[in-house]
Amino acid sequence: MGLTRILTLAGFATTLLTGTAYAEPVNLTLWHMEQPPHRVQRMKELLDEFNAAHPDIQVKQEPQSWGEIYAKAPAAFAAGNGPDLLFTIPDFTTVLKGIDAVVPVDDVVKDLDAKHGFVKATLAPYQYDDHVWAVPAYNMAISLWYRNSVLKAAGVEVPKTWSQWQAAAEKLSTDGKSGIGLPANKQLYTDQTVYSFMVNSGAGDIYNADGSIAFDKPETVKAYDFYSKLAKLSPADNGTWTWGEAEACFANSSCGMILQFGVINTYDTQAEGDAADLGVAPVPHADDQSDSATISYSNAIMLTTKDEAKQKAAKVFLAWLLEPANYGRFLTMEPGLFLPVTDDGAKAESFWNDKTVTKYKSQVETMIANSHRGKLFGFTTGKVFPSIGAISAQNVIAETLQHIVVDGQSAADAVKAGQARMSEVAKK
Amino acid sequence: MRRTLSQSLSLYGGLLLIVLVIGLPFWWVLTGSIKLPKEIIQRVPTMVPQSFTLQHFEKLLQASDFPVYLLNSMVVALFSTAFTVLLALPAAYAFFRMEFPGRNALYKTILLAYAFPGVVVLIPLYGLFAKVGLIDSPVALVIVNVAFALPFSIWMMRSFLASVPREIEEAAVVDGASTITILVRILMPLIAPGIASVAIFAFISSWTEYLFASVLIVSDARRTIPVGFAGIIGQYQIDWGLLLAGATAAIIPVVILFALVGRWFVSGLTDGAVK
Amino acid sequence: MKNTTLAFAFVSPALIFLLAVLGWPLVQAAILSFQDVGVIGSEGHFIGLGNYATILGGRGFWQALGRSIVWVLSNAVVQTILALATALILNQKFPGVRIARTWIILTRIVPTVVVVIIWRWLLSSSGGMINPLLIQAGAIDRPVGFFATRESAMATLIMINSWRWFPFTTLMMLAGLTRIPGDLYEAARVDGAGTFQRFKRITWPLLHPTLMVLGVVGTLLSFNVFDVIWLLTAGGPAGATQTLPVLIYETAFKGYRLSQAATISVLTTILLMGFAFFATRAMAAAEADR
Repeated sequence: MGLTRILTLAGFATTLLTGTAYAEPVNLTLWHMEQPPHRVQRMKELLDEFNAAHPDIQVKQEPQSWGEIYAKAPAAFAAGNGPDLLFTIPDFTTVLKGIDAVVPVDDVVKDLDAKHGFVKATLAPYQYDDHVWAVPAYNMAISLWYRNSVLKAAGVEVPKTWSQWQAAAEKLSTDGKSGIGLPANKQLYTDQTVYSFMVNSGAGDIYNADGSIAFDKPETVKAYDFYSKLAKLSPADNGTWTWGEAEACFANSSCGMILQFGVINTYDTQAEGDAADLGVAPVPHADDQSDSATISYSNAIMLTTKDEAKQKAAKVFLAWLLEPANYGRFLTMEPGLFLPVTDDGAKAESFWNDKTVTKYKSQVETMIANSHRGKLFGFTTGKVFPSIGAISAQNVIAETLQHIVVDGQSAADAVKAGQARMSEVAKK
Repeated sequence: MRRTLSQSLSLYGGLLLIVLVIGLPFWWVLTGSIKLPKEIIQRVPTMVPQSFTLQHFEKLLQASDFPVYLLNSMVVALFSTAFTVLLALPAAYAFFRMEFPGRNALYKTILLAYAFPGVVVLIPLYGLFAKVGLIDSPVALVIVNVAFALPFSIWMMRSFLASVPREIEEAAVVDGASTITILVRILMPLIAPGIASVAIFAFISSWTEYLFASVLIVSDARRTIPVGFAGIIGQYQIDWGLLLAGATAAIIPVVILFALVGRWFVSGLTDGAVK
Repeated sequence: MKNTTLAFAFVSPALIFLLAVLGWPLVQAAILSFQDVGVIGSEGHFIGLGNYATILGGRGFWQALGRSIVWVLSNAVVQTILALATALILNQKFPGVRIARTWIILTRIVPTVVVVIIWRWLLSSSGGMINPLLIQAGAIDRPVGFFATRESAMATLIMINSWRWFPFTTLMMLAGLTRIPGDLYEAARVDGAGTFQRFKRITWPLLHPTLMVLGVVGTLLSFNVFDVIWLLTAGGPAGATQTLPVLIYETAFKGYRLSQAATISVLTTILLMGFAFFATRAMAAAEADR
């Protein structure tokens, strides 16, 4: 063949190739704070599946830690290095909204709500300033955990009110064990457990309608006072407890009761794993309250990219994730900890078929029921004030507790100081 | 040298105490990493393990990115060490064997680099690295590590350089050797233990650095051991077995390194400048 | 040896590097301290000495400074005692001394996170090793919360930090000890001096210069310790262990007040530089007197 022919053929080939050119996929980076290896593993499986089914969209995960993310994320966005999708909790969203890193997701939420039906309580903390700022992904609510056999042996009924709770904790504190294990560290878990007391004494709202702090009131003092009493019955090192110590204490039976989002996995792998013995109940309420409430954390996913193509791709991913066939497997990356935020998710086979969920079915059902009565500090009035971000980041609720437990202040004085601190933090 | 009984007792008694104080915690970690979970969190822990399992290490290797962190730490540490030695050696030679105007003032300035917490430069450095696109890059870590190791390394070289008699250098000058030749051919072999000491110091500093690594590195694939390790710890529960396995795994590489070259570090420091 | 150009060529790489990586950010921090930047990346306006007034006028800075001083002094005392005792032991000849000298530094070559994990676990009052041992020995009758009170938290931190650092100090001291000629000891023994006399007359005075330098450098290093404190207590409980470095970190990254953090940083640097300057002056004067 002559040179010309070869060149023409080459020309044809090139056009063909570029015609059916390999279109560059849209690459999305997802940051989440579920770092334990088995959770990362499950995410990987889900992402691999999604990426295979959607060659034009490739999603990559970068696990981060809650301890660092409050500092790291704003810095990353400021440097132009932020992710495209970012998992969040309500107060964290306010921080990022403050630096203008979040994109409203009204349309996505509307679609998904129509298809799957969001649990209202999980959507509420992200709806303010006329927009929706994140897509709810999983819910967590604190419940009271105990062993049926331990309560029976001590002749104690499952407590429903605070006086019953005090009596139960005292009865269970025998023989070197702690009747209850409550944290007293300046840390998010302590914020959360203290708030579980506050919602159960009528002190759930910490803001007034105008945004001023409404922390200092008799109901709050009551909650702190009772908490400090129970904290005395807890192990001596509860001042350093972060996330895992309470569960470890419960798992080795040193603590008779704990407040936690979910202990099923630890109980199953590090303790006896006897499903019939694991008890879960709503957090007891103050004697003068009629019903139990709890703290519920609606974890969501924020859209943080301003690139249109990426936004479109991200919405495809979010829709895929909430499909019941996939959603159940997402939730069971930590069986018994992550609860569904959609109505059809709550019925999804992919959720209930999980081995651990099946084994602890009644416990999971109770956890879901408890979560419906959940609230979150700073997001209770329907109006969200940006200062909640700093109040949460600096753990003022926990800090107030420490004044009582470490410095020996009275609950009234500590709460007063807490009010002053929150107002100061809220000022800037 | 003969000792009295009481002298021997206090000597060996003290030694035993030191061994226990330093060694026991590591013993517990090591044995803990191979115990079954139930035995680890027992209310009365055991000194000698009564169970045996490799499940924690399996989980560590399979389910986490630990091997990646190990590799990253190695790479960063090796480069940090290399650059620290490269920069410290000539500088130390200039400070301690040469004369030039402003020598003392400059030396003091370098030592002043100790005078502030790392966290002070964290924020501006982050901004700087962000501007030149060095966020999430091991290069940024190397730069930071070298900067923090340099002052002490230069200072450490001092005693090694001081121990080499000037006569050797002067003889070489008489023989017509240039400064560089002196430095490379004659001095360096003599201060090899010093170089080894600086290298080991730089390596260890880089290996254990946490603060900057946690903020400057963003993606999991680039994490170093201290940061990656902090992340393997469960968010809502603690897997003690995994933790102890990770702790053991984090210690082993440095222990191996030290077993190979540790003698030099110590003998360099202690036999170094006996004149 | 006089070869000024070459000398500068040797010194410049290190010098330029340090100026760029450490010097320049310091200047940046100073600039930040005159602005009102909140969250990193947000806008800042010049507000002159406003931050300095706020910081120096508030209690947070002074309390943190106080804690830093307590921290530095306590560490110095504990570590000096431990290190000196250990160095004296390691300076003797006995089988295995080489191994001991090499491995004493084990606690320093381990990443801080690991140290933190180890001690958190050991000191935990449900599942740790220390409490049961103390109970068995009869020292206490119920598990103790080592980080429960202000004082115990600080004390425990100092102990852990000393555990981590004293071997390093030991080696430095050992270096100083091995430079003392053995003949001096021999002569003293011939003259009939006892162990303690030998220590007082020979060891102590000749070790002095090493100790002084260690004092200055050790103080600076100690002052700036951040990760041990942050990872174990995060400045708690109730702020009891919030030293200046911890305060800076919290102000910047949890309080989202970058400029204020920069202000504290600048103040801290001035303090430390002042200390280093006067301390080295005093050391030089003391050496000249000998």
